[in-house]
Amino acid sequence: MHIVILGNSTVAVAAVEAIRSIDNMENKITVVSNEPFFTYSHPLLPNYLVGEVEEDEEKFSYRRKGFYEQNKLNTILGDAAVFIDKNAKTVELKSGKEIAYDRLIVATGGIPIVPPMEGVNLENVFTFTNLTEVKKFKTALPNIKKCVVVGGGLIGTRLTEKLSIYGVETYLIELLERLVVLALDDYGAGLIRKELEKAGGHIITGDSVKSILGEKKVCGVKLASGKEISCDAVAIAIGVRPNMDIAKNAGLEVGRGGVITDEYMRTSDPNIFSGGDIVETYDLTSNQRRSIPILPIAYAQGEVAGLNILNREVKFKGGFPMNSMKIGGIEFISMGTVNPEKDAEIIERKYDNGDYKKFIIKNNCLSGAIFIGDIEKAGMFNWMIKERFNVKRIKDYFLKEDFGWKYFDRDTRNLRISRQLK
Amino acid sequence: MKWMKNLKTYIPGDFVVVRDDNKCIRCKACVEQCSFEANFYDDEEDRVWSWDGHCVGCQRCVYICPTDAIRVEPREEIYRHHENWKIYHIKGIEKRANFGGAPIVSMGTDKEYPIYWDHILLNASQVTNPAIDPLREPMELKTFIGRKPSVLEIKKSKYSKTKIPPQLELEIPIMFSAMSYGAVSKNVIEALGRASEAMATCFNSGEGGLYKEHYKFGNRLIVQVASGRFGVHKDYLNIASAIEIKIGQGAKPGIGGHLPGEKVSKEISETRMMPRGADAISPAPHHDIYSIEDLRQLIYALKEATRYRKPVIVKIAAVHNVAAIASGIARAGADAICIDGFKGGTGASPQVIRDCVGIPLELALASVDTRLREEGIRNEVSLIASGGTRCSTDVIKAIALGADAVYIGTAALVAIGCHLCQQCQRGNCAWGIATQDPFLSKRVNPDIAAEKLINLLKVWSLEIKEMMGAMGINSIESLRGNRLALRGVGLTDTDLNILGILPAGA
Amino acid sequence: MMKIIKVNEDVCVLCHLCEIACIVEHSESKDILKVFKREKPRPIARCAVEEDKPLSFSLMCRHCDDAPCVKACSNGSMHRDERGYVVVDEETCIGCWMCIMVCPYGVIRRDERRQKWNLSTKCNMCPDRDIPACVEVCPNEALVLGDVVECT
Repeated sequence: MHIVILGNSTVAVAAVEAIRSIDNMENKITVVSNEPFFTYSHPLLPNYLVGEVEEDEEKFSYRRKGFYEQNKLNTILGDAAVFIDKNAKTVELKSGKEIAYDRLIVATGGIPIVPPMEGVNLENVFTFTNLTEVKKFKTALPNIKKCVVVGGGLIGTRLTEKLSIYGVETYLIELLERLVVLALDDYGAGLIRKELEKAGGHIITGDSVKSILGEKKVCGVKLASGKEISCDAVAIAIGVRPNMDIAKNAGLEVGRGGVITDEYMRTSDPNIFSGGDIVETYDLTSNQRRSIPILPIAYAQGEVAGLNILNREVKFKGGFPMNSMKIGGIEFISMGTVNPEKDAEIIERKYDNGDYKKFIIKNNCLSGAIFIGDIEKAGMFNWMIKERFNVKRIKDYFLKEDFGWKYFDRDTRNLRISRQLK
Repeated sequence: MKWMKNLKTYIPGDFVVVRDDNKCIRCKACVEQCSFEANFYDDEEDRVWSWDGHCVGCQRCVYICPTDAIRVEPREEIYRHHENWKIYHIKGIEKRANFGGAPIVSMGTDKEYPIYWDHILLNASQVTNPAIDPLREPMELKTFIGRKPSVLEIKKSKYSKTKIPPQLELEIPIMFSAMSYGAVSKNVIEALGRASEAMATCFNSGEGGLYKEHYKFGNRLIVQVASGRFGVHKDYLNIASAIEIKIGQGAKPGIGGHLPGEKVSKEISETRMMPRGADAISPAPHHDIYSIEDLRQLIYALKEATRYRKPVIVKIAAVHNVAAIASGIARAGADAICIDGFKGGTGASPQVIRDCVGIPLELALASVDTRLREEGIRNEVSLIASGGTRCSTDVIKAIALGADAVYIGTAALVAIGCHLCQQCQRGNCAWGIATQDPFLSKRVNPDIAAEKLINLLKVWSLEIKEMMGAMGINSIESLRGNRLALRGVGLTDTDLNILGILPAGA
Repeated sequence: MMKIIKVNEDVCVLCHLCEIACIVEHSESKDILKVFKREKPRPIARCAVEEDKPLSFSLMCRHCDDAPCVKACSNGSMHRDERGYVVVDEETCIGCWMCIMVCPYGVIRRDERRQKWNLSTKCNMCPDRDIPACVEVCPNEALVLGDVVECT
């Protein structure tokens, strides 16, 4: 069987690992990517930008050297797929090449959201989702003294931190009243803001960039409030949207949040699978189908797609957003729906040492959590959200500094620890 | 260092905890393990200190310390020497004067009384009758406890015509003596039960009833009926393979038992059939036994309740006229008599009782065996010797003196960690044995403990076989009461006479 | 079949020696006195004792079959070694704590002493030993090496 994977990141690697774990190298796998790089670690892009890690370092790669050879992959890197003919089961590449497949995994990921505003095509306006873009940014970086970052989400804040530490005078513009809206609450966002300011960043909330100024090259931005900020570069980090034009053109069913798949990660065409930032994922905590562009979900979906190509009947039942981040001296992990509706029960505590924990409980199930500082037990709550564990009896202990398995009832604890309970 | 000395009651302790600070890594394992609060950690100084006065010499910290930084040493006596006023007496008076109570102690007397076992030697075959190699020849330790008929009529078919009274069949003549659930922890009993099953011998429930989890050991169990009658009911009697009436015990002859209310947990109160938290008091006498006839009534009541299917053992402490008492017990219908010497004592008792009431097992056993033979009723009862049996040679000597089997208590506890610190009565045994504290009792892992007990019994059995082989005897039956196999050294004529053995060389 | 460390809370005596043994095993000198007297910084124990008397037990990585930490790792540092155990590649780990975020047992520790890149620290089943140090030191067999009996 010839399996073609469009994409060379998390989903592709997960699918390859899943397939190779069971197929004895029997199937032919071809990986196609528009970027000409060895699979790399997206979360390290901000570090790469400021030179904390270089492209040739092992830690920058998503897998170790030799991954393609060990898994006997054919790679077509630097040549984008432009059309899928699902009836003929072929993929047409930009170079004109045509590849026939038996099964196809579409994992083209997300593309940055760029608002339609004046000046986005000027020189020194960058986006921040892939290495190709970041390389351009990196090349220009030595000559940048002042930069405006648009969007105060996870990427925007990290970028602001890194640039500020690097020595670029950075302005972060966020439309809403606070930072990291999706992953943190007011208190957490306040801490992040302080950390960014400590690092030298300038934070402007409740305002947005109306237009980017400049002739050929960026020289400043104009905000909705009328304020103008002069700068040499603009980084747009508003977020990503599914890169699903190719899927749409192929006639696959798509929704608002991305390509639609069943629990087996199969699209509307039985021979085409998908996963990652491009698909709509069922959010276990908000009961909605939407795009959840995070690495753990992409991996899980890629793995499920790979296994189901080999008819293993494995399901992906849904996920929820989760993030782990470090800004300055603050480490935080958030998961699930952290800005709940009114009927949810909230347990929170600010500890003397500055740590903070918050739990959102709905119908005796945990639906979201925030950890700042003391994060080491966060995964246990992740498990509780995923398994919809009934927290009625245990929630009173959530805020204890020494929270652990000792607070569970004896049977649950022992079954869990002996790996007899999922 | 915290101020811990109460000068109104201060008496120097018996031990000093010596910690090599160069080797101490502040892991605090000793702090957590000491249930007597003798070790503590001072985080300001970053140092582990010891409060020597609290140390009971149980060696738990020595055992657990990963760098071997701790030694427990006897505290140097600082009083001027006086032949009459030993430190022991001075401290004894101080304790009574300071606390206004009689000291309670345990683990049998620690005073210097003659240990007759150590003055008795065994025989070996030379030339005239060959020794036997137990690794090549079959050797039998099988023992039956129970009344044996005087005459055995055999039918032609080789089956006995005589009805044999109920017997307790043991593969080895060593049983575990009575230690109640309450005195020792659940895990200890679990281990004793498992070891008894594995070695096909028996253990004894003690007077505390039988915990529901331990009913599974029924066919390797002797249940005890004592003066408090705790936990005695139909199922309890019927599950066991033998019943023991405890009249007295070597640790405290003439004294009842007292389990403090703190030790009476939910499980114990259920098992003993008594209110939770109340003191469990076993009276000194059985209030329904004031004569041999009364005892006979109880023996037959128990036999009746169990349809005459189980041997009934009567346990008494070795006291001055033990031979006459034993004769009466045999005549009252008991199937076996257990004689508990004064060195025995997994039980807690007042210090004065422990240290000077009762007589040594060796003398009592010999005189009982002699008396029963003289009266021609030795076959009507089996004799079980108990109290202070330390090694396989003690066992074999007891059997040669006339015992059918031996109970071991302290030896079993030592096998599973007991270091004879003699603090059983305090309920916070650092080795998790004599405690009901659910945290401390975890320290006995029944798997490990059972394995150690099995090892002990296996090795002792092998040693007994070796010694029997040396004597040219291949069955323990042939050694029973065979006092010619014994010789005494360093004993007076009177001792030899009572023991019924010849002096070495004779 | 892969063996994991089985935890028996019923016989844990709360001596913390598993943690001590783990620190020693993962130290440079592997000598208990040198580790505690000289080595600075000392390694972090990969097992942790939880205590709520009378309950106590030590817990370390369960080496899940479908290890979420391996799947969530942002650059493939968390991986399975040739024995099948989940281990961290210390060279490449960047301390992003994605593994901590998803570890359903909460048994991954942060080693923040490495300045530029923090390090995820977890049980690696003592690759240099036949029996893990904690199992060997446990005085009461509260930690034993045993087969996994897995059911869903």
